[in-house]
Amino acid sequence: MLRKTLLGALGTLIIATGCTPTKVVVPLEEGQWQIGVTQGRAQIEDWYLPVYGGYVAQGMSSSKTNYAGIQFSSLLLGAIQLEAGQVATLVPQRGWKPGISYSYGAQSFLSTRDYAFRLYPEAGLNAYLQRGPHILNASANTWVDPTWFLADFSRGQILAPSFSAGYRLRYKWFEAQLEYKILNPTREIHIPQYYVPSTAGLGGRGFFYGIAINF
Amino acid sequence: MKNFLFLVLSASLLYSCADVSGALFAGGDGTYDFKNVHLDPKFQVDESKIHLLDLLSGEEDTIYALYVGDFAQIATDTIIVFLHGNTPSMDSYWQTAGLFSNLVEKHHYGFIMYDYRGFGWSTGRSTGEESMAADYDAVLSFLQAQGLTSDRMIVVANSLGSLPAGPAAAGGSRIPVQKLVMEVPQSTANVIMQNATGLSLPASMITSYKFDLGQNMEDYTGELLWMHGTEDAVAPIETAEAAMQKYQGAYYQEAVYEGAGHGLRWDIGDDEWSKVVLDFIRH
Repeated sequence: MLRKTLLGALGTLIIATGCTPTKVVVPLEEGQWQIGVTQGRAQIEDWYLPVYGGYVAQGMSSSKTNYAGIQFSSLLLGAIQLEAGQVATLVPQRGWKPGISYSYGAQSFLSTRDYAFRLYPEAGLNAYLQRGPHILNASANTWVDPTWFLADFSRGQILAPSFSAGYRLRYKWFEAQLEYKILNPTREIHIPQYYVPSTAGLGGRGFFYGIAINF
Repeated sequence: MKNFLFLVLSASLLYSCADVSGALFAGGDGTYDFKNVHLDPKFQVDESKIHLLDLLSGEEDTIYALYVGDFAQIATDTIIVFLHGNTPSMDSYWQTAGLFSNLVEKHHYGFIMYDYRGFGWSTGRSTGEESMAADYDAVLSFLQAQGLTSDRMIVVANSLGSLPAGPAAAGGSRIPVQKLVMEVPQSTANVIMQNATGLSLPASMITSYKFDLGQNMEDYTGELLWMHGTEDAVAPIETAEAAMQKYQGAYYQEAVYEGAGHGLRWDIGDDEWSKVVLDFIRH
């Protein structure tokens, strides 16, 4: 059982390096800070095993929020995974007509073993509906792999997209986040000796949770 | 419970230099109950020819090997050296031992397989290239002492077994490998990482075990048989094929089966499997 869990965790961690939860969907208020922790639960076979990350965000204006984060689980395995980016309002919400925000940034990985480095720019779009403290969102995001040619046997792909839908409760100083995400549905995901639930045979999927404080 | 185990895992990984290579090995308990009663009738062996060996691997570990045949045969006959896949112990390959022991006729070839460190009764822990190479060398050292020569040795590697077999074939074997069967092999450590993430991440992000069967095959000059199924979800055929195609040696044979998975022999049947392997051995 421990072996199974161990390998499952490994698989989860590997998948988690490929996709992190959406940090901010609706930009914060100007000057507002948000500090949060996230738990990804990518699915391997019939289990959902957790991976952890943390982030900080700051509202630069009423329509722009900068964020930066770190994946603790990658760190445990010897890779420093940092991310930074900005979320900005593209179309403000009008009544029941959803607002749209966009995000851009980058993810970086540094191996503590041989100092191999990878940088993946990312961009995304979020459609959101906010009513009081409740926020519903549907998001599309893609990582760009500028070093796709470094993948063994020329099997790299330039884009690594993901699609998600979620709910957030942003109540005063507290925020809770729940998101379901389809990861990288443009290619088959393999983990030796484990079945990775997919969408039409492609990609992976999982739940992501987060809690944050606003101040 | 799983969350708790994960936290324990995380803490232990951090404490143990955070290398997951050890977690890749599925070693476990073994019974070593190698008897005819557990074999198909067509794979029965002479039980007096079943020998369980314990061999020193590295400076302090003991690995267990199963030899089926007469010891005197090692100095004169062809010997199959089988490197098994990622199961808890070589118990799972007792049928395979029976099959090899009945190729052509009963005990025509000698057969040996062994458990890597941490598998079955073998002590210690498999951690990567170094431990796998040491275990292989322990077996080869025994065979060499018994008189085995390069021209009579067939190395058959199944799945995980391809990881130590690759470097051995590429020059890391005290008895040079001249005939190698790669059955459902992996390809590179990077590929495992990249297949799991969909990104160009190198394996060094999570492990120091950098196996590269493509490079090994490029350096291997002996004869090669590659066997694989198109529906293999454990060792995807695309990357295994890419690794095997690096081979530029003396003789190459491949057997690819539509619809077969990682349990290739079970999918294609013993008769087909034996025919292909025997054709290669006799080539």
